[in-house]
Amino acid sequence: MFPQSWGVSILVSGRQIGDNMVATDWFDVRGAVSWLAEQTMDYTVGMTRFWEQKYWLSDFTAAFAMAAIIFVVTMLSVLGPVWMERKLIARLMDHRGSTIAIRSLWTGEGNIRVEWWKNLPFGIGIPIGWINGFLWNNFGNESSNPKVTQVGNRSYAGWWWALPGMINNFADFTKFAIKEHMPPRDADTVTYEVAPFIIISTTLLVFAFIPYGPTLYAANPDLSLIYMMAIFGIAPLGVFFAGWASNNKYTLIGGMRSAAQLTAYEIPLLVTVLGIAVLSGSLNIIEIAEFQMNSSEGSVWNIFLMPLGAALFLITMIAEVERTPFDMPEAEAELVEGWWTEYGGMRWGLLFASEYLRALAACLLFSLFFLGGWEFPFEDSLITIPIIGGIFEFIFQIIPHSIWLLMKAWLVFGFFIWVRASLHRVRTDQILEFGWRYLLPLSVVQLGLSMWLRLGVYDGGSWPLIVPALITLVSIVLFVVLVMDEDEDALAEQRRPYHVSEINKASPGARMNMED
Amino acid sequence: MAYHPRATPNFRNLVVRPMWITLRAALRTIPVIGPKLFSSGYHGKEAKMLDEKTANRIKGGDSDSRFYAADRETSHFVKSPSRPVTIMYPYERLEDLEPWLFVPNNYNGRIGVVWETCTACKACVRACPNDCLHMESEVRVNVLDMPDASDENLGLSTVEFMEGGYLAQKKEDFEDIENTFSLETAHESAPQQYDFAEIIDLSGNTASVRWQETGKIESVDLEGMIPAEQDIVSGRIDLGRCMFCGLCMESCPFNSFFMTNEYDGMSGMTRNDLWMDASRTRVLPVVHKEAVDRELAKRADKERSKRERAAKKASKTKQQSEDKPENAEAEA
Repeated sequence: MFPQSWGVSILVSGRQIGDNMVATDWFDVRGAVSWLAEQTMDYTVGMTRFWEQKYWLSDFTAAFAMAAIIFVVTMLSVLGPVWMERKLIARLMDHRGSTIAIRSLWTGEGNIRVEWWKNLPFGIGIPIGWINGFLWNNFGNESSNPKVTQVGNRSYAGWWWALPGMINNFADFTKFAIKEHMPPRDADTVTYEVAPFIIISTTLLVFAFIPYGPTLYAANPDLSLIYMMAIFGIAPLGVFFAGWASNNKYTLIGGMRSAAQLTAYEIPLLVTVLGIAVLSGSLNIIEIAEFQMNSSEGSVWNIFLMPLGAALFLITMIAEVERTPFDMPEAEAELVEGWWTEYGGMRWGLLFASEYLRALAACLLFSLFFLGGWEFPFEDSLITIPIIGGIFEFIFQIIPHSIWLLMKAWLVFGFFIWVRASLHRVRTDQILEFGWRYLLPLSVVQLGLSMWLRLGVYDGGSWPLIVPALITLVSIVLFVVLVMDEDEDALAEQRRPYHVSEINKASPGARMNMED
Repeated sequence: MAYHPRATPNFRNLVVRPMWITLRAALRTIPVIGPKLFSSGYHGKEAKMLDEKTANRIKGGDSDSRFYAADRETSHFVKSPSRPVTIMYPYERLEDLEPWLFVPNNYNGRIGVVWETCTACKACVRACPNDCLHMESEVRVNVLDMPDASDENLGLSTVEFMEGGYLAQKKEDFEDIENTFSLETAHESAPQQYDFAEIIDLSGNTASVRWQETGKIESVDLEGMIPAEQDIVSGRIDLGRCMFCGLCMESCPFNSFFMTNEYDGMSGMTRNDLWMDASRTRVLPVVHKEAVDRELAKRADKERSKRERAAKKASKTKQQSEDKPENAEAEA
């Protein structure tokens, strides 16, 4: 079984599920790990008189190793969103991101360079001085543009624009890790200490059921969707614990808001997810993803079949992970930092990480549920284009499917950031009204549509092209109508005279070139 | 456009437009093609920030011939020494340069009054918790509305007797006052020539009224009475006391009183500068055209239904009066 379990058959894409071929990787991670565990146990325990134990030991080792791999992959892939948050929001909101954190080690802050290494005893700082001198000379504040040098060159990123801010994550981690843990005096100590671990552990458990690729997942029970959603719904409880136990008005208000908001959006989220399960005919995340890429069954990305469901899922997920515009529980302008006001040091860092982990989970789930999982675009049909199709197919196949999935997830996270940069925070009552009055009925409508699609339209093979085309077209038309339509009469009642547009400005040129 | 196009809180303005603006800012950071395709169009252009008079006065002075920032969005990949963030108010305004920061429609700013539709009911004065509104009004006979019997415009008067309205009766010494009072020599305000009364109830040719001077309620014959109306003499708002709660606007039954979303022009060197009289609170009908149209339509509807009712009543009485003689004849 050596060649198959190593997946050495490079570029032979396709895995057998029943009679159908679905996309899989040329490198079988699970197969490799289990093969390695078997081999290890064969040559260690297998050689001793306890050889009968080697079967469960190899299974256990493989499962443990897989969990560890998923943990590492998760922790590494969450660096992407954190970095994107810094860089992309800078572009979207028209300023530079964090670019100087590491460089300030040798350039100093505010153009003040303290040569601290000269104070170290016995001249042991001299090599540090050499390194600093080298970095100063090559990556210092001096620029060919004198103006840039003059202003202290704080935002100068040069062509190293991609790296700064990425390394900053590690600097942040170090900072959090060495900070003191200070629980408030009047806090409910046990609950206060337990709450972050409820949040963080349940957040990490979510990733146990999220596949990163066809062969890269920790666990795959039949009902993984239900497990995953159940665990995803535990964190709000921890949030409420944290808000209550901190014994602080801000955290309490934040916890209350969080409880109200997450409850309101959990239900439409679950109903929408139910719609996905109905459409794909499975409660298993991997099967749902494979239903979209299977060439003989389904084979259409769900976003083209249920655009309404995609929008609902995205909105409810943004609310569930408490990101702008639904970040009322944090609301740093009014509640300091909401329910995590009283947490500091590594606990705060882990809560922060868990927030991004939840966001990453949301993005991965969106990619798995709606964007065809780990299939790259036109995976089936690209090959039919003469000559070029084959080349593209070859290039796309080399990139592991896990990378495709991650890229999709990061793209969705880019949308999250875009939304955060654009929209303002919504008031509490408006959030709840939106959730209960609009999202809940719409999600029920989506469930009905999914049932109709599955029972009335779907015939067991792949979708006829007309179905997704028609649904997408109708959805786009409806969206355009939503954008264009407004009740002029109702608005007229709310309007007030607006002086600003009418008064002649002191600067006549001010509005000259405005586009509207 | 009387209203700021982006001030309406709809899906387009609250979601689609902000997302397009941020996307454009991000796309502008693409080297070379970004700034060309997604520019706002005013960067680096010359800005005429002075009116001609001032420009002539300071000829070639330092502040003449300014340019707009080279590129307000300087977050290129390529380095840039400066990123202007100052808005040169009042020459530039926030909502012009950063249009996504428009003043929200429900911002309570400078007070604006449509004096044309104001009826001086003083609901706003009563509503004001800080006593910053001052309005003086007086009941008077509008001479334009009461032409002579010989005038060709007779009967086209707009003011009529109506419940809740006012009527006036000439004082006994009406002629005396007119003849003896001389504006040239008078040291007091002109004496009133009429007695005014509020009409409580109208029925046919008689009305029950409350006389303003004595407060007595009386039933009077409309013959010889003159319709009167309440007019504003002066309206003043002490913005120094105003807390911009907007209760005045909410209390106004005629859509005449507004908290506009203008944040400008509410400062002064002395406290007296903050007394905004009618001329400083006036909102031009052009600006509030929709509100005025709405109010006019409301009034026209009211007038129309009133006339209809009157016509119906008239035809009824006419019919009755036609019926009666016949009956009488028949009886006879």
